[in-house]
Amino acid sequence: MMASRATQIFVDEHATRPGRDTLTTAFVRAFFIGVSLLFLAALLFAPLATVFTMALEKGYEAYLASFSDPDTGAAIRLTLLTAAVVVPINTVFGLAAAWAIAKFEFRGKSFLITLIDLPLAVSPVISGLVYVLLFGLQGWFGLWLQEHDISIVFALPGIILATMFVTFPYVARELIPLMQQLGNDEEEAAITLGAGAWMTFFRVTLPKVRWGLVYGVILCNARAMGEFGAVSVVSGHIRGVTNTMPLHIEILYNEYNFVGAFAVASLLTLLAVLTLVVKSLVERTGYKGH
Amino acid sequence: MSITLDQVTKRYQGAPVVNDVSLEIGDGEFFVLLGPSGSGKSTLLRAIAGLTGVDHGRIALHGRDVTHTAARERGVGLVFQNYALFRHMTVADNIEFALRVRRVKRAERVQRRKELLRLVALEGMDERLPAQLSGGQQQRVAVARALAHKPEVLLLDEPFGALDAKIREELRRTIRQVQRELGITTVLVTHDQEEAFALADRIGVMNLGRLLEVGRPDELYKRPATRFVATFLGAANLLLARQSKDGIHFGNHAVNARAVEGSVSGREHEVVAVLRPEEIELAPTREALTSSYLAAGTVEELVFTGALERLRVRLTNGSAEVQLAKSNGDGEYLEVTRTQHEQRAFEVQRGQHVAIGVRRIHVLPTPLSSFTACAASDAEVEHLSRQPLLVELAARMKTRVATRVEPALANGSRDCSSRSGKFVGAAVVAAQPDSLKDIECLLARGAEEVFVLPPNAPPPQRVLIHWADEAAKSATLAVSASLLRHLSAEAIYVDVMPQGTAESQRPHGMRALLDARSEAQAVHGLEMRTELRVGNVSTELVRQLGESVDPLLILGISQINGLAHRFADLLASTPRWPMLIVYREPEVQA
Repeated sequence: MMASRATQIFVDEHATRPGRDTLTTAFVRAFFIGVSLLFLAALLFAPLATVFTMALEKGYEAYLASFSDPDTGAAIRLTLLTAAVVVPINTVFGLAAAWAIAKFEFRGKSFLITLIDLPLAVSPVISGLVYVLLFGLQGWFGLWLQEHDISIVFALPGIILATMFVTFPYVARELIPLMQQLGNDEEEAAITLGAGAWMTFFRVTLPKVRWGLVYGVILCNARAMGEFGAVSVVSGHIRGVTNTMPLHIEILYNEYNFVGAFAVASLLTLLAVLTLVVKSLVERTGYKGH
Repeated sequence: MSITLDQVTKRYQGAPVVNDVSLEIGDGEFFVLLGPSGSGKSTLLRAIAGLTGVDHGRIALHGRDVTHTAARERGVGLVFQNYALFRHMTVADNIEFALRVRRVKRAERVQRRKELLRLVALEGMDERLPAQLSGGQQQRVAVARALAHKPEVLLLDEPFGALDAKIREELRRTIRQVQRELGITTVLVTHDQEEAFALADRIGVMNLGRLLEVGRPDELYKRPATRFVATFLGAANLLLARQSKDGIHFGNHAVNARAVEGSVSGREHEVVAVLRPEEIELAPTREALTSSYLAAGTVEELVFTGALERLRVRLTNGSAEVQLAKSNGDGEYLEVTRTQHEQRAFEVQRGQHVAIGVRRIHVLPTPLSSFTACAASDAEVEHLSRQPLLVELAARMKTRVATRVEPALANGSRDCSSRSGKFVGAAVVAAQPDSLKDIECLLARGAEEVFVLPPNAPPPQRVLIHWADEAAKSATLAVSASLLRHLSAEAIYVDVMPQGTAESQRPHGMRALLDARSEAQAVHGLEMRTELRVGNVSTELVRQLGESVDPLLILGISQINGLAHRFADLLASTPRWPMLIVYREPEVQA
């Protein structure tokens, strides 16, 4: 009885002392941080560590040797090429869409916003299938395409189309809220000062949203390099021709070439980590000024 | 003229946000557009800058019509409420932006920048980024930037809105100084009357998209023409009084006529009197007053505000006679302010009884002072006085709705011959199959305005004005102007020429139309559009009403007889639209 009373007094005193962490909040804080860290460790750090341990299981030699495989090289080149085509196109599209949505009132605006979100909502496999249905041999345009000797599905154009579809929301999604929040005043000021449309865009709007844009481009790029589902459907898995890195990893894994699979995986992971580092650098330098 | 606006109208989703504004601003003038938020003042400023297009009307800058000129070619400088500085550019780049656009040489740019920074007292801040400046400094940069290309007109949209009181005053002084030094025509938009007084050569007061009054600050304060301006520019007590040849009466007693300023017309009628809080005198007894006695009262609230003392005095024995046009809505209060000097002469405590005197009364030239709901029974009167449109109108006009049981309106017992009891304000009757008889009856009994109100009528979007007889023209215009100041509706004057009018008569009709418009504008400050129709008057009015969304008709007449015949289509059945009938007997020629 006495002891519990003493404890009570102790707790009360600590709980009411101003300017210091009280016992209760200290506990709550430790609890939440702990749970978050455990969660991350189980779901993120462990798999990441596995990727690198498996890749280096048979030593450096084997690790590096797996990159000299011509098919792996082709996969890496294809992935980089796809990203190099998709990211600029989606950047332009994202800018245009965000501009239209943030600056103008028009019919079907909410419909357009919903459409932009569509790739995020639809399973990537379905996104891929759509292109097969459209451009495949049995598809709507299949015969016409064959007559004109154009191959889209099971070829580079199909991979690029599918990747573009899956990744186009990222830039727009990043820019729309930013542009809406920043408003129109700077542009209007530029116009009253005599600037034309192009000058206003390049001298005022673009610099204003540049950090949001960079961020969107980074996310878009990360997804473009890592996309599996949609690309898997349209690529046809032709080794050395239409295999991107994620697809190539799957093939190597299925062939029990664990070192090869995890070596490519580690490269993809490194690219992702690099992207994240650039992202956090951008955040630190970009938003500090605001 | 530096800026000329001619009947500028801007609609947003059908509703006018700027409604028929005409205005001329002279060279080098500092003009302040004052109004509450949503009054259309910022939209009007943006229209001048070219950032918003107009639906109707013309805008000219220095005699050059710029209505369809792009914003970038108008050569105006615009300063925004939230600065709108280019946040990624330094102060120097911000200011030089307009010069770079014009490909001005570097040396010249630098010189101009230095000059501008000196003007706004920010020398040496060239290389800072906007984020490194305080709010006041940012706004100074914005002013300098807006002036860089030597615009002919400087427009400022609530430039002090985001600043605290002290900085605001400092910046206000800077802007006034810059304006004087450059002699640049300036338009400033604000909702702060103190700011308007401090800066303006002239003030234009806007409400509900209309430019209500324009004038020098002291003129507008001393002699407002409208209730809105009286209460928006400074505090004001609005009272209902009766005015006759020998002065102004509050209830039974007359107030010394010398204290009264404003319109004095021959016949006795109800008026709205403006009593400024500082023009009210308090004394222990009626005899001790040095000014005209108004009423007795009790001090209800007493606030010390430094230089002035603010009081709320509830009217006691005078309240039966003194009618407040409800300005504050919570009872019969007068707002009073007293200087230190007055406080020393007569100290008051809360709850103390005082005699209230008034030094100066201004009478508003408004023909629509109040409303009186009329019906045959108590219940009907009560119901009518609660009609949303009537309540809304009275609230906007800051006036009261009185009730009056008129047995003469009862079915069957129509005795309209006697002219017993004066009507105050506009008589209001409910729309019903017999409305025509009600109207005739009330007019015969002495009402000058009859407002016919269909149940649950919406606030009007469009007001049609027509007078059947030339004798009613001036009164109709005055009533229209008085009503329209409180509505965001657009005004359209409809003139109808009889069927079969010879072609040669048409120009004559057009001239009458234009004359009417210019009289409305010049004498009553009412901007209206005009339409000319040919046919039967009544039929054409009904057609026009039917084509409009939520219309209201103001109909001027000077003859009661033959109303049924002349306006058969309009009045024969239950009126579908709210109608205000203005009746004035023709002046008897001596």
